[in-house]
Amino acid sequence: MSTDELFAKFFGDSASRIEVVDNIATGYASVGGQEVCVIGTVDGTFINNAAALRLARHVMECTKSKPGLPIVMLVDSAGQEPNRTAEMLGLAAYFAHLLSCLEFARRSGHKLVTVATGKAIGGAFICYGMFADAIYALDTASVGLMPVEAMSAVTKIPVATLQELSTRMPALEFGAAPFALLGGVKEVWPTTADLVQKLSDAIRTASSEDDRAATGKERGGRLLAFDVQQRVLAESSR
Amino acid sequence: MSREPYHELKARQRIAAIADTDSFREILPPPERLMSTYLPQLGIPVSFDDGLAIGHATIGGTPVYLAAQVGQFVGGSVGEVHSAKLVGLVKSAARDRIPCVLLVESGGVRLHEGSSGEIGIAEAIRAVFACREAGVTTIAVIGSDIGAYGGMGILSSCCDFRVMTEHGRIGISGPIVIEKWMGKNVYDSSDRGLVWKISGGKTRFILGDAEVLVDESAGAVRDGILSLLGKSAPLDAAALSARQTALEQRVEKFGTATHPDEIWAAAGITDVAIATLDTAEDFKATLPKTAP
Amino acid sequence: MEKIQKSFPSKPIHWPASRQWALAGVVGSGNLEVLIEPTPSSPDSVEVVIETSIAGYEDSWLAAIEHFATHYAVGGTLITIHDQGAVPVVIMMRLRQALSHLTNP
Repeated sequence: MSTDELFAKFFGDSASRIEVVDNIATGYASVGGQEVCVIGTVDGTFINNAAALRLARHVMECTKSKPGLPIVMLVDSAGQEPNRTAEMLGLAAYFAHLLSCLEFARRSGHKLVTVATGKAIGGAFICYGMFADAIYALDTASVGLMPVEAMSAVTKIPVATLQELSTRMPALEFGAAPFALLGGVKEVWPTTADLVQKLSDAIRTASSEDDRAATGKERGGRLLAFDVQQRVLAESSR
Repeated sequence: MSREPYHELKARQRIAAIADTDSFREILPPPERLMSTYLPQLGIPVSFDDGLAIGHATIGGTPVYLAAQVGQFVGGSVGEVHSAKLVGLVKSAARDRIPCVLLVESGGVRLHEGSSGEIGIAEAIRAVFACREAGVTTIAVIGSDIGAYGGMGILSSCCDFRVMTEHGRIGISGPIVIEKWMGKNVYDSSDRGLVWKISGGKTRFILGDAEVLVDESAGAVRDGILSLLGKSAPLDAAALSARQTALEQRVEKFGTATHPDEIWAAAGITDVAIATLDTAEDFKATLPKTAP
Repeated sequence: MEKIQKSFPSKPIHWPASRQWALAGVVGSGNLEVLIEPTPSSPDSVEVVIETSIAGYEDSWLAAIEHFATHYAVGGTLITIHDQGAVPVVIMMRLRQALSHLTNP
């Protein structure tokens, strides 16, 4: 699915109001009649210092000129490109700035909803998409930390071992469905679904409470996280 | 103990050196055996605390929530239990309105546990901002050779403040990954001087990414933390606008710089060679008052 | 991974009232972590549980622990070890460190 086709599925004709520069999307559009702010990455692009700034600028612009508008965050990024200059300039600080702007938007009353449409990998996902009130993914999205081949290359654990384990441990399986089992996304949407309805409902029901750990426990993908968090909270108050 | 270089201390030694004597009360300590369920299946030994010690302490008499990552254990990386302990600690800090101090030493998400650590770090970042919304001080201390990388680099950068030594590094991609991607002639990961100049405490301090730069002793790190307890970094439109401008100017001024020495020179350092070897205090003294 | 579990006779430890446990070492390449906890119901023996990533050295482990149990009063304790390939010299050092942390935290 091309970017145009994808945008059309969510925003119809209003997609023409979204600007895409260097695979970074910013703009405003309409989801089934509701005006929204849009930021995102397309085409599996890398996200770097300039991209983070572009997204942050639009978020701040939205908080200034469009109070209360929901912010839809689309994710199709391969992550950060390993780059000497990016690190020298302090890429981590740029990502933190983008997150801070999103936090400001949240506190100002903007709902944040993410849809992973393509690649949603590691740092690229953490630096904005995973910060939303509610996170969704298309069933065709490549969501996760890294495919087992890459994991094998770094950890020196044989691909076959990781693959076998991934059949029992969804955390090691790459994809939208296992990520949802861990509570990382609320729901996986088939691309054939009524995506306008899905996104409208997602915006309507979004809440700023982070319930990913509870969801991961419920679905069986992360059996320890929620309980350990709760135990820490209980023990710390003694 | 407070005279030993911070980067040579192990996690629990750092806690002992920084917290007031005997003030640390560990939460869910090793006997609780909250261990990884992934690592044994990969033939890797587990650790009783999953590489993170958390607890209550006082620093200069002020109650804090304190955590220390164990860099030697799978590179200080963040798995399911580790991240859940971190989330619980930061949420406790927000709930109790008590400052949260993180002694960071991590390569980021623990690959062996896949997306569980990734989601855990994302939850921890939400918790950090919950602290900040409540006006609760969050401090990341980065002073180890392993540094704060990947998701932990991002989380550290989301805290109100960063206390760094020249030994600490903040980054997203690690040196070996960069070398593999760009080639050794562009980035030689074995050139320690270059690696530390690109990502280390002194450069981060010049650029304003670390608010506090201290000498190598644990005592200096403790003093650095003390200077920040009770303070908050504003997260309002004016502050974010100023930061946006500063970060844009940084790209404009240094986006084509071939070496971090250019950043140092622009900051007013006239003798880069000496400044490279200076202690943190001497280094700070050579900097003019205005930021680059 | 190999798991080794055995009890050894040892003189009863004087367990400090204010402590519940002591830890030494870190799990890393060539290193190990040692946790010592009280087992007041078995004051004359020390139980040792070892999980190691390097299999095939059971005799060496048992010899090291036996030496430790003979030379130190650790009866009435459970010693649990997570090992990633430490050599005997390091093992002995960590065992002694755990004991030392117990009495001088």
